[in-house]
Amino acid sequence: MSRGLPLVYGLSALGAAAVLLPLGVLLALGLGSDVALGGQVPAIALNTLLLTGLTVAGAILLGVPLALLTAYTDLPGRGLWTALLAAPLAVPSYLGAFAYFAATGAGGELSALTGLPVPNVDGLAGAAWVMTLYTYPFVFLATRAGLRNLDATALDAARTLGMPLPTALVRVVLPRVRNSVAAGALLVALYTLSDFGTPAIMRLDTFTRAIFVEYNAFGLERAALLSLGLLGLVAVVLLLEWLVGTTREQPGRTPRLHLGRTGRAAALVGVALVLLATLGMPLGVFTLGVLREGSGGLDPLLLLRSVSASGLAAAAAVLLALPVAYTATRGRVGRLLERVTYVGFGVPGIVLGTALVVVGLTLDFLYQSLALLVLGYVVRFLSLAVGNIRAPLERAEQGLVGAARSLGAAPGEAFRRVTLPLILPGLLAAGALVFLEVMRELPATLLLRPTGFETLATHLWQVYEAGAFGRAALPALLLVVVSGAAVALMLRREQGAAER
Amino acid sequence: MVDRRDFLKSLAALGGLGLSGAWGRAVAEALAADALPALRGDLTVYLGRGEGGLYKRIVEAIRERSPELALEIRRGSSSGLANTLVAEARHGGARADLFWSIDASSLGHVADEGLARPVPARLHEPLPEAFRLEAFVPISGRVRSIAYNPGRVRAEALPERIMELPDTDLKVGWAPSYGACQSFLTAMRLLEGEAATREWLRAIREQSRAYAGELGAVMAAAQGEVDLALANHYYTLRLKQGQPDIPLELAFTRGDAGALINTAGAALLSDSAVAADFVRYLHSREVQRFLAEQAYEIPLVEGVEPPAGAPAIARLEPPELDLTRLGDLQPTLALMREAGVL
Repeated sequence: MSRGLPLVYGLSALGAAAVLLPLGVLLALGLGSDVALGGQVPAIALNTLLLTGLTVAGAILLGVPLALLTAYTDLPGRGLWTALLAAPLAVPSYLGAFAYFAATGAGGELSALTGLPVPNVDGLAGAAWVMTLYTYPFVFLATRAGLRNLDATALDAARTLGMPLPTALVRVVLPRVRNSVAAGALLVALYTLSDFGTPAIMRLDTFTRAIFVEYNAFGLERAALLSLGLLGLVAVVLLLEWLVGTTREQPGRTPRLHLGRTGRAAALVGVALVLLATLGMPLGVFTLGVLREGSGGLDPLLLLRSVSASGLAAAAAVLLALPVAYTATRGRVGRLLERVTYVGFGVPGIVLGTALVVVGLTLDFLYQSLALLVLGYVVRFLSLAVGNIRAPLERAEQGLVGAARSLGAAPGEAFRRVTLPLILPGLLAAGALVFLEVMRELPATLLLRPTGFETLATHLWQVYEAGAFGRAALPALLLVVVSGAAVALMLRREQGAAER
Repeated sequence: MVDRRDFLKSLAALGGLGLSGAWGRAVAEALAADALPALRGDLTVYLGRGEGGLYKRIVEAIRERSPELALEIRRGSSSGLANTLVAEARHGGARADLFWSIDASSLGHVADEGLARPVPARLHEPLPEAFRLEAFVPISGRVRSIAYNPGRVRAEALPERIMELPDTDLKVGWAPSYGACQSFLTAMRLLEGEAATREWLRAIREQSRAYAGELGAVMAAAQGEVDLALANHYYTLRLKQGQPDIPLELAFTRGDAGALINTAGAALLSDSAVAADFVRYLHSREVQRFLAEQAYEIPLVEGVEPPAGAPAIARLEPPELDLTRLGDLQPTLALMREAGVL
């Protein structure tokens, strides 16, 4: 036990407390009321669970192969594809959902364009489809980071002993990243539980839709009570992920797989299809809007504010996530503190924002300040950072750090010279994830931002609400491009870190 | 599209257009913005929605005219800001002078919570009698309408009264979880009573398809997914502007909730004189014309034409109802839950 440990635990507890603070407000609001919820709850809970289950399955089916493809193969332009494949995380899901709503069905844009009957994308299947498209990058990025940390030796041995590649991937490689996949899947599940836009547009009755209706009708107590019901589901999901357990092994040389000519072509077609469905669809629908209504220009300050708020939040979240992830590798208390941070991601932004408004008003200096906005982002997205840092930290902390310490390195030096280089890719991935999510976050942003602080996301919302899709095209495109560029930048650093 | 510079110019110009008496003679005519004093001092406005940046352009024009005005604008959803205002008042952190919102229910809610100052008489002057309210100042009108697909249903087949809609076999698109629809149903509850509204909701449930928003419902009518959509009037006009051939027409019921004129409006939250003067700008001929031409909203002051394709206001027969009462949403939601539409 080093002397620094109590401090680390203190910081970790601070992170957990920050997440629990708005929940306390919520509890006071929900439990203090004397309203009844009525008989709609079982049906809503069932819809919510079905949507979550289907979305998680879809995200794994899409995210894991794409992670293998970009982490191990000689696919040309891997860096670019990785950045683009992560970019759907920056598309607000209501925009994606609305694009599908407008494009499909009899009389939709697609059937008007092609003359072919196109089935409606809506209901449970439609919502799961859209949610999958805009959440699979959670699985993709987490799995990819896990894969890049595996040593090639086991895979090479399996191949040498005659195991065909697909079998070797499924039986030798994937089991070793199952906690990365599970970590990504957990984020998908929590995002799905807390998202409002997609189920609403796809006409699926979920907890978030019911919460939103109450909030809009000034029924804050009922909204709080429904949120507590939703939190029950969040707890179930957290428990499920805990049961997956962790794998432990040393990092090493990244495997390299050769696709061959046909393999490359097939892979490129697959990647292109995914990008068409996730980015092409909304951008196409909005481009039609530009052609019909004109684009209406854009204020560069919007972009600047989005990027600075997202950057600040990403940095703050990573800094606070480090102690949380560290204590999570050290024992039960730490694991519990870590679990608590995930609750922030399972609570709808509008609920979190409302609770933090009360917190801000109580501590008056915080209200409508950039600090409160960043705090809101950290509370909501801290778990994204924790999840990406914990796994590499776990591997680094056993063995190598002990070796460094026994060779005479002080704890600080061991961290700086051994742990940090090993977990740097994880830190960057964590920062990138938080950055992307903050770029598209809307409900909490609207409630917590300083007065007059318009961002790309708030601007997008305004033009979308007004039905002016032409004017949504440019900011949506910018959101995707900037987010893609941010991911590309971080992945380049990741490459550098891995090669050092 | 009128660009910003043109709009600023028109706001600066002394408007001298002929006046058509759409709102009756007792009403004072709209002022040209030039006749109004430049604003000075501090002013914080909470703006519920803002129609895709259109309201922002109005704000910019006023800023440009009033270099000594320190104006802060906070935008959000109308209900979100109403909730925020109530929270601020409860925790002693009130900071807004004016709540400018696109729907009457959020303004009514703020008034119900005792946050709205009484409207001074001079702000009533440009408005028709029906819109001279105690608690907030109506700015522009948003009319409930039936947006129907003429390829699927003839105008004669549409009911004259909203309560007769269940007697038809028309397939209805609507957005029951949407604020504007809930305002309309609140009006129905206040005008027709709880029992009749519950019965209507139960019947409509069987012949309807619910959408997330009213734009979606209107688009579904155009696509032929439903025969008609119950929605505010401007979605249809905005869609037609982009796609003139889209199969959509507007119809209005008579003297009931189906023809409710809901309004965007402003509630005064402090004694700031600047706040009241700011509202006078919103009633100026230039702003009213801009709202009509760009946002397809119905101007409420004398002398400004309704938007192209909008109902001739004189032909509308809105019900008699105090719009402030639309803030009382919870009983409406209870009815909707009972009927299984929410």
